[in-house]
Amino acid sequence: MPALLPGNLEGRPAPADLSPLQARLDAAAPGAVVEVEPGTYRGDVYLDRPVRLIGRGRPTLIGSGKGSVVRVRAPDVVVEGFDIDGLAGGDLAADSSGVHVAAPRATVRDCRIANTLFGVYVREAPGVRVEGNVIRGIPGREAGEKGSAIHVWNTVGFTFVGNDIADARDGIYIQSASQGTIRGNVARRLRYGLHYMNSDDNVFEDNLFEQSAAGAVLMFSKRIQFRRNRFIHNRGFASVGLLFKDLDDSVAEDNLIADNARGVFLEGSSRNLFRRNVLAQSDIAIVLYGSSSENRFEGNAFIGNLSPLALFARRTDTRFDGNYWSDNDATDLDGDGRSDRPYTLGSLFDHLRGNLTAADLMAQSPAALALSAAERAFPVLEAIQVADGSPLARPPLLPDVPAQAPRGRRLDPWGLAGALGLIGTGLAVLGAGRRWRWETA
Amino acid sequence: MTAPRTSLMLLVARQELLLAARSRWTQIFAAVFAVLALGVSASGYILSGGHGFQDFARTSASLVQLVALVVPLASLLMGVMALAPERGTAELLFSQPIARRQILVGKLLGLLAALAAAEAVGFGLAGLVVFQNTGEDGAAGYAILVLGSFLLTAVFLSLAALIAAGAVGRKRARALAVALVVWFVAVLLIDLVALGVASVLPSTAASRLLILSVLLNPASAMRTGALLAIEGTAAFGPGSLALLRFTRGATGAALLVVVSLVTWIVLPTLAAVRRLSRADL
Repeated sequence: MPALLPGNLEGRPAPADLSPLQARLDAAAPGAVVEVEPGTYRGDVYLDRPVRLIGRGRPTLIGSGKGSVVRVRAPDVVVEGFDIDGLAGGDLAADSSGVHVAAPRATVRDCRIANTLFGVYVREAPGVRVEGNVIRGIPGREAGEKGSAIHVWNTVGFTFVGNDIADARDGIYIQSASQGTIRGNVARRLRYGLHYMNSDDNVFEDNLFEQSAAGAVLMFSKRIQFRRNRFIHNRGFASVGLLFKDLDDSVAEDNLIADNARGVFLEGSSRNLFRRNVLAQSDIAIVLYGSSSENRFEGNAFIGNLSPLALFARRTDTRFDGNYWSDNDATDLDGDGRSDRPYTLGSLFDHLRGNLTAADLMAQSPAALALSAAERAFPVLEAIQVADGSPLARPPLLPDVPAQAPRGRRLDPWGLAGALGLIGTGLAVLGAGRRWRWETA
Repeated sequence: MTAPRTSLMLLVARQELLLAARSRWTQIFAAVFAVLALGVSASGYILSGGHGFQDFARTSASLVQLVALVVPLASLLMGVMALAPERGTAELLFSQPIARRQILVGKLLGLLAALAAAEAVGFGLAGLVVFQNTGEDGAAGYAILVLGSFLLTAVFLSLAALIAAGAVGRKRARALAVALVVWFVAVLLIDLVALGVASVLPSTAASRLLILSVLLNPASAMRTGALLAIEGTAAFGPGSLALLRFTRGATGAALLVVVSLVTWIVLPTLAAVRRLSRADL
C-alpha cells in the first residue's frame, strides 16, 4: 500500500511499484532536465524536486495500477511527451490519476493519458498549465466509477489549453478554482463536458463541448466569461448545451449553442448577458426558471429551434432585445432592419406542448401554424407575455461565432446522379405521354 | 381479338397518362411544384444567413412541409377533374367493353404516373441544389421523401376516385368542392381537433390520441415518417421519443406509417370501385 500524505494525498509509491526512471529522478539536481528515451517503463513516478521530465520519441509509462502514475509534489515541474497508461487502477477517493499535481506552477504538456480514473488532477496548485494533452477515460466503465479527465480543486490561477478529452466522467471539472483560462479544448462523449462549482472569474474561449449528457454545467459561481465556444450535439433525453444554476454576472458572447435537446438552461441565475450567440436546432432554445432574474439576451440568432422558450414562472424580468428569430414572420416595411412588431416568445401551441410531450409531433404542422395565427388574430388566451421588443428582420452576421462543422460546399455525386435521374425520368414519362399516338396502342 | 385484362387496364392507364401529360393543369402543377421545390432548396442553401444551419435536414424538412400541403391538393383536384367526367363522356366511356373496375384502376395508374413524373422533375431540380452543397449521406432521407411524396399522391388520388365515383352523373363542381373539404380536413382539421381534444384529456390518453391521429391521418403520417427518417429523433424532440416508445422502435414506426398509407390507397380505391360498379348511369 503506497504511503498517503496528510489530506489523503498519495505519497511516494512503495519501492516495488516505482518506475525504473525513479533512480534518475532521485539523483537529479533541482532544475535539471531528465530526458527519457523511447521505451516502456513500468511503475509509478514520484517528483519531489523541481525537474523537467521530458519524453523523447514518446516513451510509455505504465503505472503500477495502484495509484497515480506520475505524482508531482514539488513546484515548477514539467512533464512532457509521454504516453501514460494507468491500467484502470487506483482509488477514486485518493484521486488516482495519470498525472497528479499537488504543487505550484507545474506544466503537463503533450501527454497521451489513457485508462486512468482521472486524467490530470490539479490539487492546490496555482499557476498550473495543462496543455495539448490527449485524455481518454476507462473504456466501458460507468460514469460513476471513473473520474474527470481534467480536475482542478482549490487553485487560484490555472491554464488549460488545447486538450483533447473523451470518454471520462466529466471533461473538465472545476471546483473552488478561480481566475483560470480554459481555451481551445475539445471535450466529447462525457457526462458533463464542463462541470463546475464555486469558482469565480474564469474565462472560456474557443472550446468545443459536444455529444455529452450536458455540454457545460456551471453552479454557484460569478463573473464567468464564455467566448467563441461550441456547445453542440448534446442530444440525450434531458440534455442541455449550457446550464447555469446559481451563476451570476456572467457573459456569453459569440458562442455556438446548437443541436441540443435544450440550449441554455437558467435556474437561480441573475444578471447574465448573452450577446451575439447562435442558438440553433434545439428542442427548446432557452429554459428559464422564475428564480432567475435580470438576464439579458441581445443580438443573438435563434435559428430553427422547435420552441424558443420554456418559462417556469408566471412572469420574468429577463429581457430579450434585438435578437433574430428564424420563425418570426413579421414584416419590416420601413426597412430599418427590425421587424415592425415585437416577437412573442411562446405561443398557445408551446403552452400545449409544455404540458404534453406528444404534441411535439405536430410542431411545425399546418395545425400549429394555424393555432398561432388564430392566437394573433384573436388574443383570447392571456399567454405569458415574453417578447423581443425589436427583433432583427434578417439573420445577423456573426463572424466570430465558430462554424458547426468545416465550411465549404461538398458535392454528393450519387445524390446529383439521382437528382438528374429523377428529372430525366419525369420528363421522359411526361414527354412520352405527349408523343404517343393512338395507333401505337 | 380480346386482349388480356391487364393490358386493357394498361391501355386505359396509358391513355390517361397521355391525357394528363397533355393537360394544361399537369403542366402548371409540374412548373409550380418545380419552382416551389427549387425555391425552398435555394433559400435553404444559397440565400441562408451563412451559418450553415439550413443544412440538408432543414431544407428537406421544408420540402416535406411543402409536399404535405401541395401534393394532396393537386392530387385531389386533378384526380376529381379526370375521374368525374361530364355526363356524355361517362356514358360513352362506360359503354366500352371494359369492366368499370379496370377503367377506374387504369385511369388512377395513368394519373399517378403523370403526377409522380411532375413531382420527380421538381424533386430532381431541388436535388441538384441540395446535393451540390451536402457531402453528408443525405441521399437516403431524400429518397424516402420522394417515395413518400409518390405514396401521398396515390393516397389522395384514391380518395379523389372515391369522391368522383359518388359524383357520377352529377355536377363536377360539387365533387371539386368535396375534394377541397377533404383536403382541408386531412391537412389541417384533424390535427387541430386532435390537439384540441388532447388538451382536455389526461396526459396518457392525450398522448395516445395524438400519436394515433398522426399515424392514421395519411398527410400527417407521411410528414412524420419523412421527418423522422431525415432528422432522426431531433425532428420532434421528446415527442419523437414518445412516438417511438409507442411503436416500439423505428422499424415499428416505419411499418405503421407504410401500413397507414397503403391502407389509405387500397380502401378508398376498393370503395370507389364498388360504388362505381353499382352506379346507375
